Amino acid sequence: MIAYLATIVLLFLLAPILLSFIKALKMVLLFKKPVSVFQGYRNFSKLMHKETIISRETSSITRYAPFLVLSPLLVVMFFLPPVVHGAYYVSFVDAFTITGLISLSTFFLMLLGLDSASAFGGMGSSREAFISALVEPAMVLTVFSVSMMAGDLGVGQAGVNLAEHFPQEHMASFLFAGISFFILLIAENGRIPIDNPETHLELTMVHEAMILDLTGVYLALIETASSVKFVIFASLFVSLFIPLGLEYSTPIAILVFVAKLFAVAVAVALLEVNTAKLRLFKVPNLLGISIVFAFLSLITFYVLGA
Amino acid sequence: MIDFLIGLFLATLITALFTTRLYRLLWWYSLNSLMLGFLALFIGRELDDKAMLITGIATIIIKAIGIPFVLKNLSQKFHFVRQVIPRIKVQYAIMLIPAILVFTFYLSEPITHMIKSNSNYVAISISSLFLSLLLMIEHKNVAPKIIGFLSMENALFLLGITATEGMPMLVELGIFFDLLMAIVVINLLFHKEEMKV
Repeated sequence: MIAYLATIVLLFLLAPILLSFIKALKMVLLFKKPVSVFQGYRNFSKLMHKETIISRETSSITRYAPFLVLSPLLVVMFFLPPVVHGAYYVSFVDAFTITGLISLSTFFLMLLGLDSASAFGGMGSSREAFISALVEPAMVLTVFSVSMMAGDLGVGQAGVNLAEHFPQEHMASFLFAGISFFILLIAENGRIPIDNPETHLELTMVHEAMILDLTGVYLALIETASSVKFVIFASLFVSLFIPLGLEYSTPIAILVFVAKLFAVAVAVALLEVNTAKLRLFKVPNLLGISIVFAFLSLITFYVLGA
Repeated sequence: MIDFLIGLFLATLITALFTTRLYRLLWWYSLNSLMLGFLALFIGRELDDKAMLITGIATIIIKAIGIPFVLKNLSQKFHFVRQVIPRIKVQYAIMLIPAILVFTFYLSEPITHMIKSNSNYVAISISSLFLSLLLMIEHKNVAPKIIGFLSMENALFLLGITATEGMPMLVELGIFFDLLMAIVVINLLFHKEEMKV
């Protein structure tokens, strides 16, 4: 139980560090002076001290929505697969619950964008709806097919089963599911081929457009939510698709897990440096590839058993 | 490991189907051939077949490095259009590709009963044959059609190494010679294309 709670706290603390690490690595690769890894914390404390101003046009949704964006994601953190051997975990929560909770958070984010009645907010919300509608089927298919390979529908149990008995004979369908999930990780977190998290240019914004009107504590909450979302996806990716290191003793297992999270961050940073942002109407192509791979993984598993 | 490589083989082919740039298409073809070469090396090591090791190395040198390089040079020389948009729209391709895969997986089921070892690989190579056919169908320009033809050859090679547990060396070298002839013919086609323009 202590290991379970400690893992959740660790993930929560790692979340801003991971995003700042991606930013710093990108800056190093572009020959800029990198930001500190703890920049996420600094931004958080700065925003906490700032005055919170709310537009006169908004309804009460703006006051509730930031909390409702963050809370489903915090609930999802309790359902993730375990990091150390013998730790407590929730075994019965399946792909539908996790996808549903993540889309609940996205729903409130979209409401928040619409509520301020600015042109940007509505545009950002409609784009976010467009992207997340395509992400969800692929996400359910992918996690489902991995659960099939692991022999259990619960995501936590699937992570444990995969670490204990790696499906060597299903390597091909495992690989397809991995490719699909990595595309989803990028799409759902608004990283570069889908959305650029760093610009405030109206043509490229998706995530930034929705939170343009927020200040102070509410902005801090939303930024925390987006970093928590990244850490949820990254830890799902590493515990389902790189199931190594669960059998070691507790400190080494945690070190291996953190190293895997940073490896995912490095992969995302390299991808962001090397690709240009896609045009919005090209985004369905990328997500279509992801859906095709998720489906392919499922049928390869069912028909061929490979 | 062989399952992993065969997965990458199919994955690179599917990604090539969605590509809209010529050089990117050549890159995916090159990766596809690289995976094929590694597969031949792994299967050759498993069967302890020296001839297959040689064909594996020849595949990596000729198909993964040589042919993409030559094709890139040719397309630079003749100033080809580098934007190759598939004629089948993406939203239809998303439905078509899984349909083809399901169809071919079930199609090859009677054959897979006849083969004792690695029966899955036959199904995957037949499906990649159909996918390369789709790559040929969905493009209007000559260059992507040639990539489709070459991927089809890759799929046949995969069928050869997985289903028969090693073809005779002579046959495989004959296929390579065929391929070189095909490249010469392609060169002529490119000339003709340029004369039309």
